[in-house]
Amino acid sequence: MSTNLIEGVILLGFVCILYALYFVKGDKAKLKTAAKKSVRMFLQNSVRLYSVFVIIALLEQFLSPQGVSQFLLKFKGILGVIVGELTGAVMMGPAASSYPIGQYLFAHSASVSLVAAFLFTWVGIGVIALPMEFKFLGKKFTVLRNSFTFIAGIFLALIMGVLL
Amino acid sequence: MKEILKDWAIEIVILMIAVLLALFNPSKVGSALLAATNTYVNLCIVIVSVALLSSFISVTIPKQIIGKIIGRQSGFKGTLIGAIFGTLMVGPAYMFYPFFKELRDKGAGANIIATTIGAWAIKAPWIPFAITVLGWKFTLLFNVLILVFAILSGFFVGAFFKE
Repeated sequence: MSTNLIEGVILLGFVCILYALYFVKGDKAKLKTAAKKSVRMFLQNSVRLYSVFVIIALLEQFLSPQGVSQFLLKFKGILGVIVGELTGAVMMGPAASSYPIGQYLFAHSASVSLVAAFLFTWVGIGVIALPMEFKFLGKKFTVLRNSFTFIAGIFLALIMGVLL
Repeated sequence: MKEILKDWAIEIVILMIAVLLALFNPSKVGSALLAATNTYVNLCIVIVSVALLSSFISVTIPKQIIGKIIGRQSGFKGTLIGAIFGTLMVGPAYMFYPFFKELRDKGAGANIIATTIGAWAIKAPWIPFAITVLGWKFTLLFNVLILVFAILSGFFVGAFFKE
């Protein structure tokens, strides 16, 4: 969690410098418009993001890491890769909380491909964030990007299975 | 009114799900709300920064400049910028979707944005932890492949966009 804080502080510092430079050199009226716009944006984004955080937290409450691992261990081969990908796409949250699940799966002799597929879509595809991607980046972009990522996940998993 | 309902449909559905679940299991929903609030507070500075940065770009930066740096035709340089930016950032990518939208409106290529989101799956600050948990061979190969597929994702998505 502290990495998020560090990132936030760096980002905010950068933004403050941008605003300060523009205040000195640029058009102050434009800066005022930008500041006003950002308040509305902040409020709207806050509601949308908080809703996503609620769904993620609900998933964490109702699906335990052990439960998810037990479920994944039932599948083998290419089916394991597909189920791993689908499960990873539904599950969301910080990447760091997916690594221990991967470790647990390895300890219980899951294949490299299954673990790779699960970890890849955990960060690469977020079913819960799809509505946001739709809204901000458009339907076409969302469908293309996520279909590609899903298929790429199969290749990534198979390549890793062969090499490791 | 109808517009507002349509615009916020997802959030309203989530609210209803939470209320419904709370009827059956109030304690779990309570902890979930607490966890969500905790995440929100943790990421609040980033959310503020994204709003400030997006509106700054939308108001002050001329379209040609963004298009030149990360436009559809920005080639290898644009892809590299997207990939590096995505790799260095941690936290959820969807937090930056409003920012990406602003960039898209200002002429950023769909290919570059797709590569950036793809590379977002690489969590550079978490790599040492991943190595201790998953081993260095797995972690290294995993991240190299994510980068390769992030770049390919840019080619693929970009092929379907004209602007």
